[in-house]
Amino acid sequence: MRRTVRTLAVTSLAILASALAYSLDFGSTAANAEPQETKVIRIVSSLPRTGSANAQTTTMVNGIKMAIEEVGAKIDGYAIDYQDWDDASPQRGNWDPQVEAQNAGKAIADPLIVGYIGTFNSGAAKISMPKLNEAGLVMVSPANTASELTKPGTGDADEPMKYRPSGKINYFRVVPTDDLQGAMGASWAKELGATKVYVLHDKEVYGKGIAEVFKTSAGKLGIEVVGFEGIDPKASNYRSLVTKIKSKGADFVYFGGTTQNNAGQIAKDLRNGGVKAGFMVPDGCFEQAFIEAAGAPNLNGRTYITFGGLPASELKGKGAEFVKKYKEKYGIEPEAYAVYGYEAARVLLDAIDRAEKKDRESIRQAVAATKNFEGALGTWSFDENGDTTNRIMSGQTVEDGKFKFVKVLSGS
Amino acid sequence: MEMTAAEVFFQQVVNGLSNGMIIALIALGYTMVYGIVELINWAHGDLFMLGAFFALTLVGIFGVTEASGMGATGTIVVLLFSSALFCGTFNYAVDWVAYRPLRKAPKLTLLVTAIGISFIFVNIGLFWGGLPMEVFGGGNSAAAPKDFPPLVPAQALFGNEEKVHVSVRDGLVFGVTVPLMIALWWLVRHTKLGTAMRAVAQNPTAASLMGINVDRVIGATFFIGGALGGFASVVYSLYNNTISFQMGFRAGMDAFTAAVLGGIGSLPGAVLGGLLIGLTRSMSDQYLETQWTNTIVFAILILILVFRPSGLLGLRAKEKV
Amino acid sequence: MSSEAPNPTGDRALAPEAGAWRGTPRPWLADLILLAIAMLVPIVDVASGGLGLIAPAKSIFIFAIVALGLNVVTGFTGLLHLGIAAFMAIGVYAFAILTNESYPFRLSFWPALFLTLPIGAIAGFVLGSPTLGLRGDYLAIVTLGFGEIVQDVLRNVETVTQGTQGINPVAKPFVPWFVAAEDGTRTFAWTRISVAGDLAWYILLLLILIGVVVFVRNLERSRIGRAWMSVREDELASKAMGIPPVRTKMSAFATGAALAAFAGGLWASTLDSTGEPANYDFQVSILALCIVIVGGMGSVTGVLVGAVVMVGANDIVLDRLTQFIQQQKLVSDANVLGSPNNWKYMLFGLALVFMMRFKPDGLVSRKGSGSRTGGRA
Repeated sequence: MRRTVRTLAVTSLAILASALAYSLDFGSTAANAEPQETKVIRIVSSLPRTGSANAQTTTMVNGIKMAIEEVGAKIDGYAIDYQDWDDASPQRGNWDPQVEAQNAGKAIADPLIVGYIGTFNSGAAKISMPKLNEAGLVMVSPANTASELTKPGTGDADEPMKYRPSGKINYFRVVPTDDLQGAMGASWAKELGATKVYVLHDKEVYGKGIAEVFKTSAGKLGIEVVGFEGIDPKASNYRSLVTKIKSKGADFVYFGGTTQNNAGQIAKDLRNGGVKAGFMVPDGCFEQAFIEAAGAPNLNGRTYITFGGLPASELKGKGAEFVKKYKEKYGIEPEAYAVYGYEAARVLLDAIDRAEKKDRESIRQAVAATKNFEGALGTWSFDENGDTTNRIMSGQTVEDGKFKFVKVLSGS
Repeated sequence: MEMTAAEVFFQQVVNGLSNGMIIALIALGYTMVYGIVELINWAHGDLFMLGAFFALTLVGIFGVTEASGMGATGTIVVLLFSSALFCGTFNYAVDWVAYRPLRKAPKLTLLVTAIGISFIFVNIGLFWGGLPMEVFGGGNSAAAPKDFPPLVPAQALFGNEEKVHVSVRDGLVFGVTVPLMIALWWLVRHTKLGTAMRAVAQNPTAASLMGINVDRVIGATFFIGGALGGFASVVYSLYNNTISFQMGFRAGMDAFTAAVLGGIGSLPGAVLGGLLIGLTRSMSDQYLETQWTNTIVFAILILILVFRPSGLLGLRAKEKV
Repeated sequence: MSSEAPNPTGDRALAPEAGAWRGTPRPWLADLILLAIAMLVPIVDVASGGLGLIAPAKSIFIFAIVALGLNVVTGFTGLLHLGIAAFMAIGVYAFAILTNESYPFRLSFWPALFLTLPIGAIAGFVLGSPTLGLRGDYLAIVTLGFGEIVQDVLRNVETVTQGTQGINPVAKPFVPWFVAAEDGTRTFAWTRISVAGDLAWYILLLLILIGVVVFVRNLERSRIGRAWMSVREDELASKAMGIPPVRTKMSAFATGAALAAFAGGLWASTLDSTGEPANYDFQVSILALCIVIVGGMGSVTGVLVGAVVMVGANDIVLDRLTQFIQQQKLVSDANVLGSPNNWKYMLFGLALVFMMRFKPDGLVSRKGSGSRTGGRA
């Protein structure tokens, strides 16, 4: 009997509280309906700031800050406030889906936020894209390359539509996608004389995706794929795997993955295990941290890195200007991705400038309407999927512990 | 130049044994502490990690980064012993501060304390990686894996590098671990301290009645177990060339599995278990898929515990109630 | 629950102990205070224009349910369980597979959510039946190994789980809530909670948590609950009294697994995705264990307090502090010591060590029970 009374009391209290909260929510949102009055609009970036991607993301954030400074942090009388959010957690030393989900939630809940620059990892984009899409908040990624995020037919049947529950396109990116990079990587490998390739990947959205494209393209080009498997990114070494690669007679090794997922250790073990084969990695390893983790002697003259754009040294026009200013401001050479952070912020600021009303929907439409944008990466537009029309890629190698530009890659 | 199936197999045996010896060395630390205080010393794997960071710091101070003759050999010897001393002392201190006050507490209390200590160690490792030293990448990204300079060359010691070979590094692993294991066995079997350790392991109360200072014996066990972890950390770093603040968990799990597999509390068991885990890993990498290797190791752990809880070489001990 | 162990004599044998496991002097008072706070939070938050306390509270509620499940195993029954995250993961993936469009089931929120209970219980049974006869510390290791295996399997069986891509979207519940029309007016109707609907989630999860607390409290007082505690206090004696220890442990194990899986279902729905398998790693199991230990093993109120303290510290306090430091530019970004997030491990570790040393019974201790922390392993 007493228990029933208690249960009843608890339930009724809870219902009472719910009712109170309901009414308050109703009232407060009505009061906050006009955020414009504050004359501040906010841009946030959600990138993995903790962990080994830190070097790459710091350089991107620097790029974003430079773009905002260029417009004096003010557009049409609106002050532009920028916040640098972290989507990684120290436990993982890498991006964390829970944190990315929280970031998306925070961004949606803050009415001042009109633009979301991110994410770095394609897997993270899959978490926040549908949420931000539902809220109509525009998202510009400086680094996601997984093709199924935007291109129908490159992933599951329901991709990319499941990232667009509202039916509108709110996700844009300034980097070319993996279906291009993987294919160009394969044709470069062919030019380098690869006949038997062993393809590894880190099992993540990005790494596995690009590895699969590489595998398919390599097969089409007549390169024999002697092995395709996912590695354990936490393993202490890959000696046994290297022996297996040797036993299959591979003369070329491709790793689809990132520095954070132990690319450096693979490079070490390949050389230490006496494998003479060339080693190719995608742009997830195009950062100084890769050379640091692998140790320069393990990379020099035997490593090939593809990148969905041009390295800082090869940029022309606005891009070269950016590199010069960056060096003046920060005293160091920008990492490859700095210019993408800069470009993502610039295209977003440009859209804010063009948008008549500074609300989320007008800005989203303005971003979508970006045509012939005079950017640091050349003159380009967003296509109907939200992808850049820019298709220039480059191939690098490592010499004396430094990346060295080899050639512009082209292909189908 | 293709390898024949037999060559591949033997190369994997070499890989497996090398990795296994390192695991075994860490496993000895678990098994010693367990044998004497029945504590799964959760923090042992992370202590091992700190040992590697300590060694890398010394490398940075000495400025030795290349495998070059006597200089490198001397450095390696210094690294081995100073890292062992560091880990041993650290382990002893932790026992003194954290575990000793809990000797009479339920075992669960002790185990949870050890888990807490392991977290503290991991955090120390994270901060350590942020030291503004060249070897830590200038301290700009603390969490990033650190490159440990290749002080030991990876060239073949025997055999053809293109085919089956035992590298200098494999030689290092055996050259360090085997003498250590023999020394440990001698210490436990033929010294006064060893006798005291075995007595405490069997019955602490009776041992103390016989005039053995139980706390001192336990402290010594923690010191020796920690020191073995310190040796292992240097061998591991020289063998793999990469250290990271997160490496303790995986290394600890492998070593713990090895200790249980061999029969926790048994020194030969830990070595046997380590070798078996190493071999299982390399065979699974070769003949199955790398992605399933971990699952196989843990599945073995569970099966061993279910069907032979005392392990391969352990005595069938009834739980003390 | 179908896991009730038949136990004809246990009831009377345990009667004299009845006062001992009652918990704090007035457990309901403490619960009501907690409830009052839980109800005040959204009111204060909304009234003050958004302190951002509502969104992180989702994790607090869900982890409270996971920890309540773990508490049944570790707190009530005294079995150290280091793999509760595996059962949460099973719930997450079961819920996603039952509701996602690309799978054949396509259930809606509630049926799928309640199906996670038996699915979790079965998973618990499968793991528990061969291993519960093991001694305490070995059981802990088995649960840990199982946690790792579940993660690997979820990651590797890509045809079913989509590997690291995760499964999304998943079902979200329908509740009576405000629906905003194009012109800004809002009406009150049945609607699907959006991923951004923090307040709606808050209320729903709070109500569910109340349900779980009532359920666990009733279990605690039931015959099976008393059997759990008698096994914890003295396995030999309770066996002599006719309580089958393995079966009793089994029921606790399955109940804990079921609750963790249930929480997993809720988690997937709030995230609108499974996330990736590595989300449910050892750290999550340890977080749940910390909640139980810091709160007070075996005390339901303690677990609730523990969830607020541990998850709150994690998701609100440290997060705020980090953001504050970043905005004020107190330290350079590069300084690893400067970000409170980097201190998480240290704080968790110190919390465990100090609790064990000075307050092994937790913040809210079970009153007058025999052993200090239950398990004698």
